[in-house]
Amino acid sequence: MSSAPRPYTLVAELTYRCPLRCVYCSNPVDFHRSRDELSTAEWRRVFSEASELGVMQLHLSGGEPVLRDDLVELISHARARDLYTNLITGGTLLDEDKLRRYRDAGLDHIQLSIQGATQENAETVAGVRSHQEKLEAARLIGKLEFPLTLNVVIHRMNIAEVPELIALALELGANRLELANTQFYAWAAENRRALMPTREQYDRAEQIAREAIDKYRGQLEIAFVQNDYLSGEPKPCMGGWGRSYICINPTGEVMPCHAASVIPGLSFDSVRDRALADIWRDSPAMNAFRGDEWMIEPCRSCPRKEIDFGGCRCQAFMLAGNAAEADPICRLSPHHEIVESMRESGADAPLIYRDVKTSRELSKPA
Amino acid sequence: MTANDQWRPRLAARARLKFDPIAKQEMLLFPEAALALNETGAAILRACDGMRTTAEIAEELSRNYDRADRDVLTREVVEFLSTIRARGLLE
Repeated sequence: MSSAPRPYTLVAELTYRCPLRCVYCSNPVDFHRSRDELSTAEWRRVFSEASELGVMQLHLSGGEPVLRDDLVELISHARARDLYTNLITGGTLLDEDKLRRYRDAGLDHIQLSIQGATQENAETVAGVRSHQEKLEAARLIGKLEFPLTLNVVIHRMNIAEVPELIALALELGANRLELANTQFYAWAAENRRALMPTREQYDRAEQIAREAIDKYRGQLEIAFVQNDYLSGEPKPCMGGWGRSYICINPTGEVMPCHAASVIPGLSFDSVRDRALADIWRDSPAMNAFRGDEWMIEPCRSCPRKEIDFGGCRCQAFMLAGNAAEADPICRLSPHHEIVESMRESGADAPLIYRDVKTSRELSKPA
Repeated sequence: MTANDQWRPRLAARARLKFDPIAKQEMLLFPEAALALNETGAAILRACDGMRTTAEIAEELSRNYDRADRDVLTREVVEFLSTIRARGLLE
C-alpha cells in the first residue's frame, strides 16, 4: 500500500479579506499578495473533487468568508456533495437574513470567534469595534438553532477571563467552546511577546479549563488547545503532514496546513492547474514531510514518532532553521533551549495589527 | 448520566450520519471529528428518531439481528446510546 493516505478534512480559505485586524491572525503576513481569489466555479469543482477523494469535513474559512457574495451557493454545493459544512466566521457581518439563507442552503455548523469576555479587552485585540456585533450574531445563531462552537484565541490579555468565557459560552447556548491558546505563527509570531501569558497565568487557566471540561461534559464540550511554549509537549501537528488535512488558500494553492508557506523552498500546486487528487497524491510540497523518511534524529528512532510526528514542521523551521528537525518544543530537540528564551511575556510590547497596509510593510523585500 | 425508560433519543442538531463510500461504512459526523460505526451502531443511531424509546429500539434490533437475549441487548443499546449522549451527540 504505497498510495497516499485519505484526506478527511478540507479547510477552504475563501478569502483573506477581513473587517477585523486581530493581532494573532493566522493568515500569512504577506496576505495582501493573494488577491486573485478562486471563482465560484473553481470552488465548486474543488468541493466535488474533495468529496470524491474522501473528504468528510469542510471548513469554510478566511479571512472572513461571509464577504464572499457566493457563500450561499458554495454552502449549497458542499451539502449537495454531502460534506459536513462548517462556517468559520468573525460574525460581525452576519444578520438574520444571511443566516436563514445559509441554513436553507444546508449549513451544518457555525464556529464564531470572539476575542474576549469584555468589550475593551476584546476590541484591543480585534483592532476594531466588534464585540457587541459578535454577541448579537451569537444570539441570532442560537435563535435559528444552528449548532455553535465559540472559539476564543487565548493569550496574555484574556487568559484571566477563562471563567467568564465559559460562562458566556453557556449563556449563549454554544455546544462547544474552544479555548485555543495562541499558536505562534504569522501575525501571532510578530506579536509573540505581547501575547505570551506568564507561566502562572497559563497553569491557572489550564486548571480551570480541566475542571470545567469535566463539570460541563454532555452540556458544553470544552477544548483547551495547548500553548506550545508553555506545555512542553510537541503537538501532533495537523495529525501529521499530508495525512488527513488539506488546506487551500484563496488563490487555490494546496497546502498541508495554512501556515506551511512560511517554509522556504516549498512550492504549492494550484487547483487552477491540476486536479486536487493529483496534487494530494504527488505534489512535492504534500510529500515533503509525509511518512517518516524525512526524519532525522532524535525523531527517526523515537518511539513517539507515530504519535506526534515530530511536532510541527513550520515551528521546526522557525525555531531551528530546518523544517526536518524535531520541533524544538520537544525536550529531546538539540534546539530546545531557544524555547526557554521565547517564553518571555511582555506587557510593554507594542501590538502589530493585521491589515493590508501593515502586510505591505512587513512583506517588502529586505 | 443514565438513560431512563422514557428517553426517546434523537441525534443532536450538530451530528449527522453519512455513509462513507470509500471505507464502506456509516460515519457519525460532528464538528471537528467523526466516529466510524459498525453495522449495529449505525442501525441503532438510524433508529434514534426521537419517537422510539431505547427499549423499542433494542426490541427492533433484536428482531433484525436475530438476537435472543433481549435484556443483554437492551443493556448494550442503552450503554452505547449513553456514550454517544455523553459526547453531546444525542438528545
